[in-house]
Amino acid sequence: MIKWWVNIVFLVFFSLFQISCGSRGERNPNHLIYWSSNNTQEIEFARYIVNGWNKKNPSETVSFQPVPEGQSSEEIILAAVVGKTTPDIYSNMWQGDVEDYAHAGVLVALDTLKGFKDFIYSRCDSNVVKEVTSPDGHIYQVPWKINPIMLMYNKKIIHHLGLKNPPQTYSQFDSASEKFKDENIDKDGYVDRWFGYSEVLVTWWQRFFDFYPLYLAASGGAPLVKDYKAAFDNEYAVEVFSFLRNLYANDYFAKERLSTRQDIFLSGTIATRFTGPWEISHANKFKPKGFEFNFTHMPVPDNHKGPVYTYCDPKNIVIFKTCPNAQLAWDFIKNMIEEKNDLMFLKMTNQIPRRKNLETDSLFSDYFKDNPKMIEFARQAKYVKGTDPYPNLTEVFDIISQEYEACVIYGKKSPQKAIDDAAKQVNLLYMK
Amino acid sequence: MNINSKKIVPYFLVSPYIIYFLIFIAFPVVFSVVLTFHKWNIISPMQYTGLTNYVHLIHDEFFLKSLGNTLIFLVIHIPLQIIIALFLAEILNQHIKFRGFFRAAFFLPVIVSGVVVTILWQQLYGFDTGLLNRILIFLGLGRVGWLVNPSMAMPSIAIMATWKNVGLYIILFLVGLQTVPKNYYEAADLEGATHWQKFKSITLPMINPTIFMVVVLSTIGGFSLFIEPYIMTGGGPLNSTLSAVLYIYKQGFFYYHMGYSATLGLFFAVLILGVVMFQKKFIEKDK
Amino acid sequence: MKRIIFYIFLCLCALVFLYPFIWMLLASLSPENEIGALTFLPTSLSLNSYAQMLSKIPITRAFINSMFVSSMVTLGVLVFGSMVGYALSRLEFRGRNLIFFIVIFTMTLPFQITLIPQYILMVKFGWVDTYWALIVPGLMNALGIILFRQYFKSIPQDLIDAARIDGCGDLQIIFRILWPNSLPALVTVGILTFMTSWNDVLWPLIVIRNDHLMTMPQLVTLFAVGGAAESQLGVKLAAATLLALPIVIAYLFFQKYFIQSMASTGIKE
Repeated sequence: MIKWWVNIVFLVFFSLFQISCGSRGERNPNHLIYWSSNNTQEIEFARYIVNGWNKKNPSETVSFQPVPEGQSSEEIILAAVVGKTTPDIYSNMWQGDVEDYAHAGVLVALDTLKGFKDFIYSRCDSNVVKEVTSPDGHIYQVPWKINPIMLMYNKKIIHHLGLKNPPQTYSQFDSASEKFKDENIDKDGYVDRWFGYSEVLVTWWQRFFDFYPLYLAASGGAPLVKDYKAAFDNEYAVEVFSFLRNLYANDYFAKERLSTRQDIFLSGTIATRFTGPWEISHANKFKPKGFEFNFTHMPVPDNHKGPVYTYCDPKNIVIFKTCPNAQLAWDFIKNMIEEKNDLMFLKMTNQIPRRKNLETDSLFSDYFKDNPKMIEFARQAKYVKGTDPYPNLTEVFDIISQEYEACVIYGKKSPQKAIDDAAKQVNLLYMK
Repeated sequence: MNINSKKIVPYFLVSPYIIYFLIFIAFPVVFSVVLTFHKWNIISPMQYTGLTNYVHLIHDEFFLKSLGNTLIFLVIHIPLQIIIALFLAEILNQHIKFRGFFRAAFFLPVIVSGVVVTILWQQLYGFDTGLLNRILIFLGLGRVGWLVNPSMAMPSIAIMATWKNVGLYIILFLVGLQTVPKNYYEAADLEGATHWQKFKSITLPMINPTIFMVVVLSTIGGFSLFIEPYIMTGGGPLNSTLSAVLYIYKQGFFYYHMGYSATLGLFFAVLILGVVMFQKKFIEKDK
Repeated sequence: MKRIIFYIFLCLCALVFLYPFIWMLLASLSPENEIGALTFLPTSLSLNSYAQMLSKIPITRAFINSMFVSSMVTLGVLVFGSMVGYALSRLEFRGRNLIFFIVIFTMTLPFQITLIPQYILMVKFGWVDTYWALIVPGLMNALGIILFRQYFKSIPQDLIDAARIDGCGDLQIIFRILWPNSLPALVTVGILTFMTSWNDVLWPLIVIRNDHLMTMPQLVTLFAVGGAAESQLGVKLAAATLLALPIVIAYLFFQKYFIQSMASTGIKE
């Protein structure tokens, strides 16, 4: 009986003991832990970088592992932050998440590190640096890689429709869709092939593949959020909603979810898709014989002037405050993104490093000769936008998605009202 | 063993539970209330915000929607449940062969995980390729937008929930039916009562407690609805399947609004207790 | 004649409850492109969906996790539940009524109010992404205590007195005397607890993020909801079938006990 009592008391104290032992104890300032994403090619690249570094710096080593598997890497990172088990360096942070963590005080302000400012201005355009600067003036992230969203199109179908070029504006897109639809109504009156497709999901990140790139294209890279207020209640957002709503109302885009027994683009079920460079190797591997495709910029309103922007899904590198030697961490990162390694990254993963002059730099010209489709993305890389440096962006996109569902998919609200409601809710969000 | 230790024994036996209660029940309830007056996203420090969460709650259209959705669910689920369960229990209560087999068949969905049932029914409810719509087309009727029509989505979940749970309530009704003394029925037979009259005047009043229990359990189940909308529809379309718990989960573990989520939790907990007590007064009075 | 129609009707009803599961099993065994057209039997059987699912998610690991967690929780509830149930039913002590009310209170308290604070406790204890978070909060169950108390009340006092004369302490009384004589209660509480623990998804979703520690229903849920299944129906159905299998097998053998256990949840009222 006494034994039971002792066991229970022990259990209680053991658990209380665990509370106090939250920290990891002393860390060796000459050894760092780096987490990469769990994308196969990025793991390979990380291994290459880390091995190279460790050979050159045997007294200041880095070990790496892919971010632990879970429902999403964002959740894993959050759990790590909460449990204080963060790595020193993490290279898969979505730009939109950085501000939340900066606000919480868990990220190192990189501009306080030696050599950071000079290097970053030499690698990136000044507008990129501005984009990643937080409202408090500090920079908490290193712009690393981007995957611009563009319009992928089936060359044969475009040619078959009698078009010299893929559609560039909304009306061109609409008329091409109408022509395609007319040819593809089966005997029951059902359309079974569509000019384009975007997942009919209300998930917040789905907007990266429809609303957001179209909005950036139409508005020339305008912000969604500015000064902790909604900045998207303008005519561009309304036009984008209008355009998309039309596509669904006219059955140019499929309203139901097309199940992917096989890739619907490669099978010709859809003629176009809003997607990024990751699609290239997939398409090349699985395309049927004679299938040809290419990329162009996102469609824009008919009266659009100037370059066409798009969303680039930027992933950046951060240093957590739990790191025992932030300067060493920066030196490691600097090595990882210097020119030769950026080229290696491009070759190994086919993802665009966010550096300036990509298409004119002679070091990269061989790669683009071998991968001509990537040139479109390199050109687009000059006109891309990531996210605005404000917290709670996930919620902003979620709010927009709710209105998107009501207006674009179900036609229950006018585009103007939907945008107005979304803006109202976003303002309410930032006021709390 | 001396008398002293005998006196202490009960307290030793109960102490693990007391410790557990203090840590996992009492403290959370108190902390929950405290949390409703703060704003917290786990990684930053807690911020005192007074009544802001409550004010927001009143103006929150998603919160109101989730209440409405729960109501729709209960209004469909509870009557359907009672009618089907009572009907099948009545049948099983007769002298039939293979009663054990039928009972076991009806009960099978009850023990299977809700995850399995949801994934399965998601396929059955599919618009193009789902089994139900294919049967409807075969019968010459049109397709139904079970999960894609905002007005049909919650009723569809209610139907699925009925299918899953009715076995349990059949068993409960069986137990209740068997407590009705046989001589009541015999006396009614002597007076020439029809089956329906017997049912209305003898059976129903006698199993009133069971009916009440079914209503209460179903109500609590309705307010706990989470995994079904989570898997099937994610709360859509147009938030028509956003349940109370799903909304709490979303606010707490998707947006990390811990304070607001706690406020929602507190409200729903109080609401459930209120509804159950109301049902107790209302239904049990009907004796 | 009327009898035959009667039985046909009953069989149809039983089919309504059984056929969906049969369909699920068959669909998981048929080739992917046939699932959309499947009504009765697939043209060929294929284990492809299972093979794909096994390669995408650590389902065997999840199964082991679920077995481990549910067993530990069931053990805890049986042990602690009988301890408290015994004290409440057969011992006299001050505060006995108070404790009883606390147990009733715990049972009627809706979980919606404790969900968030319990998660925060897990964070503070450092138990997030550990087995502790899955097991400890489930170790005590008010319903279990009530059921044990009720059952222990019916044990004849002489049995206990005889044991005391033999020099047994209270713990020995519980485990050596009461348990062997309370098999129905043990089975009921055991099955109820195991099932509830096994099928619980909300709590694991909240406290476990690392997929090596996920429980089986949690893993299948995330698989069905997330992108890993790539909208392939067969793979999702295969996962669901595997998830259903353990409980269904247990049910086939112990059906009587399952039904009795669930029925007694009503008796508590």
